[in-house]
Amino acid sequence: MSDEIAIRVRGLGSHFGPQLVHRDLDLDVKRGEILGVVGPSGAGKSVLLREIVGLDKPSVGTVEFPFLEQEGREPVLGVMFQDGALFSNLTILENVEAPLREHTRISPELRTEIASLKLNMAGFPLDAFYKKPADISGGMRKRAAVARALALDPELLFLDEPTAGLDPIAAERFDRMVQELARSLGLTVFLVTHDLDTLYAVCDRVAVLYRGKIAAIGPITEVAKNAEGWIKDYFSGPRGRAAHAGATGG
Amino acid sequence: MAEEAAAFDLVENDRAPVLALRGDWTVDTIANVEADLRALHLKAGAAVDVSKLGRMDLAGAYLVDRTLRAGATGQQSAVVVRGEHTNAKRLFDATRKSPAEPAPLPEHLHGWRGSLERVGRAVAAVGEEIIESMSFFGQTLATIAGLIVNPRRVRSVSIVHVMEEAGLHALPIVVLLAFFIGLVIAYLGARILGDFGASVFTVELVAFSMMREFGVVITAVLLAGRTNSAFTAEIGAMKMRQEIDAMRTMGIHPMDALVAPRVIAMLIMTPLLTFAATMAGLFGGLLVCWSDLGISPVMFFSRVADEIPAQHFWIGMVKAPVFALVLTVIACKQGLSVGGDVNSLGRHVTASVVQAIFMVILLDAIFAIWFLEMNL
Repeated sequence: MSDEIAIRVRGLGSHFGPQLVHRDLDLDVKRGEILGVVGPSGAGKSVLLREIVGLDKPSVGTVEFPFLEQEGREPVLGVMFQDGALFSNLTILENVEAPLREHTRISPELRTEIASLKLNMAGFPLDAFYKKPADISGGMRKRAAVARALALDPELLFLDEPTAGLDPIAAERFDRMVQELARSLGLTVFLVTHDLDTLYAVCDRVAVLYRGKIAAIGPITEVAKNAEGWIKDYFSGPRGRAAHAGATGG
Repeated sequence: MAEEAAAFDLVENDRAPVLALRGDWTVDTIANVEADLRALHLKAGAAVDVSKLGRMDLAGAYLVDRTLRAGATGQQSAVVVRGEHTNAKRLFDATRKSPAEPAPLPEHLHGWRGSLERVGRAVAAVGEEIIESMSFFGQTLATIAGLIVNPRRVRSVSIVHVMEEAGLHALPIVVLLAFFIGLVIAYLGARILGDFGASVFTVELVAFSMMREFGVVITAVLLAGRTNSAFTAEIGAMKMRQEIDAMRTMGIHPMDALVAPRVIAMLIMTPLLTFAATMAGLFGGLLVCWSDLGISPVMFFSRVADEIPAQHFWIGMVKAPVFALVLTVIACKQGLSVGGDVNSLGRHVTASVVQAIFMVILLDAIFAIWFLEMNL
């Protein structure tokens, strides 16, 4: 991790009709870090993710990618949606090839090989490459979705609830896979989650989104230690304590 | 874009060849060097010089690694990297760890045996579809019979909702189309019958054809396009999102909650729409007769009343509930057959509309022969 800023959010405000989701929200994501974003349900975590990747437009405020802009490059973003959002009429392999097919001129064989490489890195089993998304389990769909998000070798990876709906063992494997991918590819990861185990296991820093603002940000141990109000309830509830105990091995 | 084209030099001086990379090697740039690298035949033990390399990503690293592996004899432990680079070494290690051999393609049926088998499967599928549709039809009738016995289970709110959505809202288009059809028939009659000096019989032509056939067939074909697609898509989307499974676990039978209200609503609305269509067609004919043939509306109606027995009107109307039942059953059956993916939704909506129109025409032909044989 360096001190370069990968994502800079300034003065972000968004509302749906009269309902205020974010107000004057500032957030910096450092290059190469895994940032976990937590918050109560309905706090606007997913909305924040959508606004950063450009799917929704915030009412006010700006989102910049200073590091990439400084090098004069278009930001290439990889996004994994909650349910995978794989194209159901394509096989898994075709799903991962789809962005390559659209955006590059490489030959079909190389495209297939690169897609296979991505699927392998995401831990997707070889014998299911030609299955349709409807024919594989939820955990496998998430792995395929990560592989597709990585297809164009983005430097920024966005994960929306990556471990939701997975059993604890599959979730742990998924966490480890994300961490390994991030380290070996030098990714900056923006991870929205509810999973306390994921926070302890994977994230370099944690941002707590509460009442429309970033209420706390920093390494998880610090955030948990200095917690007040909702954040305290979140981290020191029985689940939070268990996750902490699991992470520190005590 | 501050991107440099990918390029490489092959340095083969003393022993091991060295592949010196230049420029950016990313998924956007490697297309240029792909063919050159494939043509390259490296000797074993080649090394990679990354000192002049710009940016690199996994795709670029993979391409280099593939080239090295093609030349290598036996297993090579790691890519030999010379020079300094921010992430090249890490990326080479990452590609080495995940073998990229794509899985073998599943076996497909090729040749004439394959096509014969596909034809056979398709024929068998048609047979199955007919049997399934028949059994669904029976289930629907049983459900409705159950509702007659036990009327408290009738869901009047959904029935009224469907009546409005699929019946009332279809009224303008049905009326408009039938009006135009009546107009066209009258023009045809005025023209052709006029050649025989019998243009006054245009009234009979319009009344006869609108009442017996066109009023009800136009309505049914329009409903097949409009309502069948809507019903199948609604029910199919519910099936895809497991809403139907949720219903079942709550002890609500989809036959009761989804199919019966639609069937009942359409049984009520289709005759009404048919009546409106018939009247609109007659009105279209009336306008032509009045303006082109000088037959006044009063004369038009008295001629219709005198010359056309009421049975023709009833022959048209009696078909309406039959069409309604068949159309709605097809729509609901196709909706409930939707599987988990989007493709299957599209396939079943198409099947619903096609089968519905097919059945309308087929049933109408059967009715025509039957009524004719009965001298009606």
